[in-house]
Amino acid sequence: MVHVRELSKVYRVHQRPPGLVPAFKSIFHRAYRNVPAVQSLSFDIGPGERVGFLGPNGAGKTTTLKMLAGLLHPTSGSALVNGFVPRERSVGLLKSITLVMGQKQQLLWDLPPAETFALNRAIYEVPPAQFQDTVRELSELLELGELVNQPTRQLSLGERMKCELAAALLHRPKVLFLDEPTIGLDVAMQLTVREFVRRYNERYGATVLLTSHYMEDVRALCPRVVVIDKGRLLFDGAIEELVKSVKPNKRIVLKLSRPVDGADAARFGEVMEHEPSRIELDVRPDQLQAAVAGALASLPIADLVVEDPPLEDALRELFRRSRTDGADSR
Amino acid sequence: MLRYLRLVGIQVRASLLLAMQYRVEFVVQGFAGLFWSAATFVPLFVVFGKRPSVAGWSFGQALLVLAFFLLLRSLLDGAVNPSLVQVVEHIRQGTLDFVLMKPADAQFLVSTAKFDPSALSGTFGAFGLFGWAFWKTHHAPSPGGVVIALLLLAAAVALLYSIWILVVSSAFYVVRVDNLSYLFTSIFDAARWPASVFRGILHFVFTFVIPLALMTTYPAEALLSRFTWSDAAASIGGALAFAAVARLTWRGALAKYTSASS
Repeated sequence: MVHVRELSKVYRVHQRPPGLVPAFKSIFHRAYRNVPAVQSLSFDIGPGERVGFLGPNGAGKTTTLKMLAGLLHPTSGSALVNGFVPRERSVGLLKSITLVMGQKQQLLWDLPPAETFALNRAIYEVPPAQFQDTVRELSELLELGELVNQPTRQLSLGERMKCELAAALLHRPKVLFLDEPTIGLDVAMQLTVREFVRRYNERYGATVLLTSHYMEDVRALCPRVVVIDKGRLLFDGAIEELVKSVKPNKRIVLKLSRPVDGADAARFGEVMEHEPSRIELDVRPDQLQAAVAGALASLPIADLVVEDPPLEDALRELFRRSRTDGADSR
Repeated sequence: MLRYLRLVGIQVRASLLLAMQYRVEFVVQGFAGLFWSAATFVPLFVVFGKRPSVAGWSFGQALLVLAFFLLLRSLLDGAVNPSLVQVVEHIRQGTLDFVLMKPADAQFLVSTAKFDPSALSGTFGAFGLFGWAFWKTHHAPSPGGVVIALLLLAAAVALLYSIWILVVSSAFYVVRVDNLSYLFTSIFDAARWPASVFRGILHFVFTFVIPLALMTTYPAEALLSRFTWSDAAASIGGALAFAAVARLTWRGALAKYTSASS
């Protein structure tokens, strides 16, 4: 559904040191610097897949999404989305994709979302019957109710995002590019949006490429992740694989019936978190059995759970390594 | 074609809804438009108070130029300006992304995004002026003259719109174009005078570079039966060339679009 080969994008950025004199000089002579935002990126996404697209701020996620949506022209490399070349922005492509940006909105600010829906219906040439069906379905999935008839500016951030999603999906796109769709939303609303994306994906078999800084979104929605940093691919595969390859250790979470000294716990593994009633230990897989047995025998344990280290830790480690490697190779 | 007409219909409807949502503003704007129409006479009265004609134009004939100016100004403020000012904002904030993601011509979508019905009140003033001008000049336009004038008016609207597209296209390169749009509206103000008022370099600029003469003076001359079909054809050809250049520039600018960061 989405094929990306050696995709690169270089921005030409205007450079200016701070201060009045350099500002004045820059009126007459501008210095530019080439900033590589995406470098030789390659990956494929199959129909109906839900893929998390991860990376720190400035990693090139949004630039990649915008190249795939046909908004930005790649400097080199190629992309194919649903059989179309995005940069050509053909009607076929635009009718089969959508882009939702958590930080920007397409809803008409002073009018009710229903007006934006009507406009999109005409632009996408959605037949009236299908439009009614889709609006009904989306309203039901997102619990929109009367929200669509209130002026957008009177809606809360979460309500607005729900209507944004509905407006973006009225034409039943086959490929969804979601750029931070849950940003700024409260936990309950994040859950609603997440659940909605999953159900839309299941009902229409749509392909989803999602960026989010909330790992919970990614964990709950995306069996597979593509991780980039500084525009380069760092990892592409299942979340469990990522965690296993970067942080192979197991995490033992101990709930304690009374506080213990950190040094006592450190005998069984590396202490990652230490609170009066809770300790988290990292242990090599081959030492897991001994560590669990030892901890059970000598610590006042109320509860014990063995799990993989959090995705956040694995990502942090991955980015740290990529930055040290980058520094070494320079 | 039918689809695009339907789209214009929906956009006009949204603008009307918006205008009615803010009723007080709608009324105030309407009055401001009428007041502004009245104020456009002042310079004309001042100039013609001392002499019977200026650069070969009598007061009544100059009124015709002013009527076309008022008509175009209303169209500019009511139908062209609101949408295109919004584009600049879209480019600055990166929300043009949403427009470009739509499966319809982007230039069409941004050009019809917003209308200001209250600004169209000036058109009533313009039609009043036409009547007054004909009464003053004791001259009824010939049917041929009216046809040429209407064709020229269409060319003038195309020209005005093309210039705006050029101004907006520059926003893709420089991001802020407030000054450029002010500059253009100020220059456009000169179109209230018959073109022969201007001499030398200004005459050349207003005829060929920013063809203000085509917008108001030529249609007025057509109504006064002083304009021939061949002149009209040349003017319309010029307007079409301008429109083609504007379209090409817009397409070039779109390819340059860098979007705003998230």
